[in-house]
Amino acid sequence: MKTTLIDSPVANVANIARALRVAGAELEVTRDVSTIASARKLVLPGVGSFVAATRWLTENKIDTAIRDAVNRGASLLGICVGHQLLFDSSTEMGATPGLGLVRGEVRQFDGILPVPQIGWNRVAARGPLFEGVESDVFYFVNSYAAMNAPDEIGRADYGGPFTAAVQRERVFGVQFHPEKSSSAGLRVLRNYIAWT
Amino acid sequence: MDVIPSLDLLDGQVVRLLHGDFASVTAYGDPETVLDSLNVPPRSRLHIVDLEASRSGRPVETAIVRRLASHGVRIQAGGGIRSLADARTWIDAGAEKVVIGTVAADAPEILQSIVNELGADRVIAAIDVRDGIVRVAGWERDATASLAEVLARVEGVGIGEVLITDISKDGAMRGPSFALYRSLNTKMRIIASGGVSTISDVVSLSRIDSIGACVIGRALLDGRIRLAEARARVATPNAIPERIIPCLDVRDGRVVKGVNFVDIRDAGDPVECAIRYETEGGDELVILDISATDANRSTALDVVRRVSESLFIPLTVGGGVRTIEDFRALLRAGADRVAINTAGIRDPQLIADCAREFGVQAVVLSCDAKRAGDHFEAMVRGGKESSGVDAVEWCRRAEELGAGEILLTSVDRDGTNSGYDIELLRAVTSIVKIGVIASGGAGNVDHFRDAIEAGGARAVLAASLFHDRRLSIGDVKQFLASEGIPVRSSGLVD
Repeated sequence: MKTTLIDSPVANVANIARALRVAGAELEVTRDVSTIASARKLVLPGVGSFVAATRWLTENKIDTAIRDAVNRGASLLGICVGHQLLFDSSTEMGATPGLGLVRGEVRQFDGILPVPQIGWNRVAARGPLFEGVESDVFYFVNSYAAMNAPDEIGRADYGGPFTAAVQRERVFGVQFHPEKSSSAGLRVLRNYIAWT
Repeated sequence: MDVIPSLDLLDGQVVRLLHGDFASVTAYGDPETVLDSLNVPPRSRLHIVDLEASRSGRPVETAIVRRLASHGVRIQAGGGIRSLADARTWIDAGAEKVVIGTVAADAPEILQSIVNELGADRVIAAIDVRDGIVRVAGWERDATASLAEVLARVEGVGIGEVLITDISKDGAMRGPSFALYRSLNTKMRIIASGGVSTISDVVSLSRIDSIGACVIGRALLDGRIRLAEARARVATPNAIPERIIPCLDVRDGRVVKGVNFVDIRDAGDPVECAIRYETEGGDELVILDISATDANRSTALDVVRRVSESLFIPLTVGGGVRTIEDFRALLRAGADRVAINTAGIRDPQLIADCAREFGVQAVVLSCDAKRAGDHFEAMVRGGKESSGVDAVEWCRRAEELGAGEILLTSVDRDGTNSGYDIELLRAVTSIVKIGVIASGGAGNVDHFRDAIEAGGARAVLAASLFHDRRLSIGDVKQFLASEGIPVRSSGLVD
């Protein structure tokens, strides 16, 4: 099955494309609305600002295309800010609505450790995405995260627990960067590609 | 590990003496006000030293102990306890435990009588050590028994907790004696004392198996450590792994390695090296372009492009970054983070501009520091030229400007294999909140541990050591794990 990587300008698309290919994906990279709406397996990347990423999605009607695809039975993997976009909302710049595909709110770390979190962190995870993963440590760069989300399948701690991965039916999200998490990250991508 | 605030009392006031000298007193006010300001929760343990009692041999501050104990604080009181009567005075005043020093080291029969009367669980033995020798009587003289003998005797009477202070370091903010604590052979729980001056010290102590608690005095009083933060950090000391970072010094498209920034020799192909390092478990790769003349700029970009295409760990690139456009070009070529060195010192605004444009996570300050008398100077042009800027102050300023991490290289140690400069590391890690990568001087596995444990580094970098295969990244990680320091398990080789 083809994997469709959404070509967001607010993302490190090249790195993720490379990792997906190494993980075995037959990859198409696109920002075409109809291609996205009819895709079977989607990847939504994102870095930086939730607000900027949301603006791009709505202005280009990518948000509707993603929802259409998921409603038709497509699977979806959000990565980093792409993961955050899956939630109901984020407190970045007041309250910005997200795609609402998984439940919960994304908030800034209010803990005691320096923000952003830059580095490796241990994730306690379960579910098909993490099957056979060699290491439970993944690479994060983030100032915001969902906390204790209802659809949480992976949890990490950065001055307090936060949601490192979610799954709601066919919609997955990972707060870390699988493309920078060495073999463990590649395994997560491979699991997503193989998942049906 | 428990974190126990420690208050020294003199004339009803909380004070500190530098090196135990009664002529050198800093006063902090009355004990209840101090406890409030430190946010010490009810039921917390509290370590009290009655300084006048340690001098006169008679308990003095019992009224204070009685007052504090009535608030629910669990007090361990010490200072000059020479007899069963002294010990009972403190317990009667409401102390949960007594801390016995000189008698524990020099008068085993009195220690035995105190334990018999009060119970071993109400007695903490306190041992002051200077250069491996037990000191007694307010640090005035050597004990008659050796450290090993004192430990064995104290353990023999059934005491479970021993407070060990390295008095050559106490109060001087030079860091705890990690080596001493690691070397002790005892089943008792150690309470570490002396030299704890940063959160990182507390975390490092909590990773040593035999340490059950640490007491903190001056660093709490001075606000360097917040009690709640310290307790939160030691609750999950192993969540965040420390990083091992192999470094490739690249010139004209080839990996090279020099000693003290000169005497360069060729050492291979960057892409091959990068792949090998990820396979061995490198947590990140640093490429420093040490040619960095304009003519070779495109060669460097090409190296970054080729390496990033084969790498699935974060890549930091530095060398010759002068403008925001240089920075952008490296990110576009595949770097995740870019290190700014000479240009940042000449134009600090560059750091702020890059942080705003690309995010603080992308900005690494690379600081080459060289000893100059009693301070460190920031060097420029590949460590060859003095900048006149104080290296430690420059690191503090760079954090303010928006650097996300500091790559701190000791020019003196680079290529010498004699160990990282712990003093330099502590000088910087004690004043910045952002992470510091230790660089320059790695020669064996102990050096990596020391940089993290004593230096407070959040990552440790080495180049020639890994390149010449004198050590593998796996060797280093295995050793660190055995020392209780959390690392990411070695990726692809597992």
